[in-house]
Amino acid sequence: MDLTHASGTLGSVDDPTELAAPQGAALAPPWPTYDPAPFYDELVGSDGTPRPSADALWNHFAELGPDGLAERQVAADREIRALGVTFTVYDGGVGVDRPWPFDIIPRIIPRDQWQIIEAGLVQRLAALNLFIDDCYHEQRAVSAGVVPADLVTGSPNFRRECVGVDPPGGIWAHICGSDLIRDAEGFWYVLEDNLRVPSGVSYLLENRMVTKHIFPEMFRHYSIEPVDPYVGRLASTLASVSPSTGDPTIVVLTPGIHNSAYFEHAFLAQQLGVELVEGGDLVVLDDDCVYARTIDGLEQVDVIYRRVDDLFLDPEVFLPNSLLGVPGLMRAWKAGRVALVNAPGAGIADDKKVYSYVPDIIRFYLEEEPILWTIPTYRCSDPEARARVLGDLANLVVKPANESGGYGVLVGSQATPEELAAAAKEIEDEPNRWVAQPIIKLSTAPTLCDDEVAPRHVDLRPFTLMGPDGAYVTRGGLTRVARRKGSLVVNSSQGGGSKDTWVVDSPSDTALAGGPA
Amino acid sequence: MRYRIEHRTGYHYDAPVSRCRNEAHLRPRDTDRQVCVWSDLVVDPAPTGWNERTDFYGNPVASFVVDGPFVEMTVTATSLVDVVDGDPLPAVGPGWHEALDLLTNDLSPEMLDAREFCFESPLVSTAKVVRDYAEPSFVEGAPLVDAVTALMERIHADFVYDPGFTTVTTPLDEVLQHRRGVCQDFAHLAVGCVRSMGLAARYVSGYLETAPPPGEERLVGADASHAWLSVFVPGWGWLDLDPTNDKIVGSTYVTTAWGRDYADVSPLKGIVFGGGNSHFLDVAVDVHRVEVEPT
Repeated sequence: MDLTHASGTLGSVDDPTELAAPQGAALAPPWPTYDPAPFYDELVGSDGTPRPSADALWNHFAELGPDGLAERQVAADREIRALGVTFTVYDGGVGVDRPWPFDIIPRIIPRDQWQIIEAGLVQRLAALNLFIDDCYHEQRAVSAGVVPADLVTGSPNFRRECVGVDPPGGIWAHICGSDLIRDAEGFWYVLEDNLRVPSGVSYLLENRMVTKHIFPEMFRHYSIEPVDPYVGRLASTLASVSPSTGDPTIVVLTPGIHNSAYFEHAFLAQQLGVELVEGGDLVVLDDDCVYARTIDGLEQVDVIYRRVDDLFLDPEVFLPNSLLGVPGLMRAWKAGRVALVNAPGAGIADDKKVYSYVPDIIRFYLEEEPILWTIPTYRCSDPEARARVLGDLANLVVKPANESGGYGVLVGSQATPEELAAAAKEIEDEPNRWVAQPIIKLSTAPTLCDDEVAPRHVDLRPFTLMGPDGAYVTRGGLTRVARRKGSLVVNSSQGGGSKDTWVVDSPSDTALAGGPA
Repeated sequence: MRYRIEHRTGYHYDAPVSRCRNEAHLRPRDTDRQVCVWSDLVVDPAPTGWNERTDFYGNPVASFVVDGPFVEMTVTATSLVDVVDGDPLPAVGPGWHEALDLLTNDLSPEMLDAREFCFESPLVSTAKVVRDYAEPSFVEGAPLVDAVTALMERIHADFVYDPGFTTVTTPLDEVLQHRRGVCQDFAHLAVGCVRSMGLAARYVSGYLETAPPPGEERLVGADASHAWLSVFVPGWGWLDLDPTNDKIVGSTYVTTAWGRDYADVSPLKGIVFGGGNSHFLDVAVDVHRVEVEPT
């Protein structure tokens, strides 16, 4: 695995206090009333002073003052509109295209912490890929008793059509968007591994672009790890799984303009310099090869970065009424004539029940201890766990076992008695569908809300690429922020906002990631 | 017993079809109690592409492409199958609790293979309403075979055979609510009931002898393809039961394919380019006993 950092970073490692000129003159804190207690705050320590990594930022914001900050937010909003960065939110069945919600105050992560997280993410994705490959071959993990059969043949995400297929390098999930959170002590946890069609990376890149424009001075004084190598690494990962030996033809397959992440599909195709196609633009001929219809005639396609869910990919095999897919695509993939990224069936490992077994999965396939923590997860199908969950519902988060995107999640502490009773009934009726986790007091970060800077809960979605030639993790990730006070729901599909995330060369003052077995 | 089966499906479209691609589960598979000695699949108009494979469950599948234009297509499968009765039922088999324990905890390949059929599938829910219906048949301490036989009897008594009431995708809760359906619904319901108890059941598609031997009653479902269920009895094997006729499946039944539910084994499915807004379908099935020449 390639774990080396790019040595060149933007800016130089200057004295981080240099921004706050003149030296030594103590500035008033930028947000005198800011109090994140009882949560861990990303920028501000429990004594109300900035964390060492946020020192320069803190001083700079103090200099700017509230008006200066508000001006920069206006500039950022204007830029996002001008660039057309949008995200579609579904409300009552209607998709509304909204400007991408961006908060200008960045979140900062010290590099020494990031290196551990990065190693943990690569370890996790390597193990999950071995697990997926095993699911579609011998299912050793099941026969060895590491995971129950429920997780494999009992999963709605197990694609029987994929059994026996050998994608290049045994890699099924080439692109993973992981959700990381921190608890009240600042410890990092993995909350989810998104292996189907994870979105968000375009916003990560755009957030950085906007930040560079509105805070150019910051990049002179901080040594901030760049995020833009992602696109080049994505291109080389896609090319590395091409079945042809020549220069591969790559396309991005989108469900179309009504998809919530259409902006991202268009953005990535443009950044990669490849065609953005819909299902109707591709055709599979009787030679089992995939062709794009171009004005010069049919052109063979080698790699499809598909942003269409498995079940819509190929009406010949999956949903027969899907108009989003390409008839014959699975045939072509199984014949080895085209690479699909991520491979169909990868979603088997992206499931809240599998999540609870990931530490065991890592130990089984890699014979290593997991680097990153997993949140204890109660599987309601187990009678003992179910009894505990039902007895303590108000202090737990209840989640559907097979959904993604924050749909159907119930936070016990914020639910009404009626909602709790309804959840209890659903769990009793169909225990297999539910898992529960303790409520993690998500960390906060200073966020500009209606003219004041207040703590809002955040998570982090870094992206990991994995190909036969190595792995790459974005430096930092997309920080998502819950915009309502006290809310723990950060999902963009539920109206969450975002922040730029800086991995900086600065000592950390808190415990690192990693933890108990 | 040797049977000759002819299964003819005709499609009639509103407007010309330019191309269609189909998958057929029409060649009977070999099983413990049957051997398919010969089978022939004829498509008219003649297909332009043809491929045969074995699916995830070991069923033979033929996929074919037909290029148009055409407004009618006929698929005719003709097979000769030798069938015997299954092994006699165990006098006292495992209790259903014991079977549940083995299916849940035993890691032998046999149990793991069966375990796949304990879970929900696209057309078979194991929701609480299904379990509520199943529970009275699963008496504390009862042998598994008795429990599933009792379940079959109840479904046969409680439900009305009513062609036209349901479609291939009618969900189980609707079938339960209206208490009517066809063989496929009863098989799905029984499969769901068995699975809701944590046990293994698969959906079997096949045929019944059209004309019964003299003096025996003609069974329901004999003029079309039929469906029933198969329950895994640890230590014994798969036991086939027909809730539509309240019968343990014997030598008058020919198996075509099995899977989790109808969606895995539908006799013919496919996608069509063109064809207008509607089409209609006619299906004819004929299952005859043939005399085997003495050798």
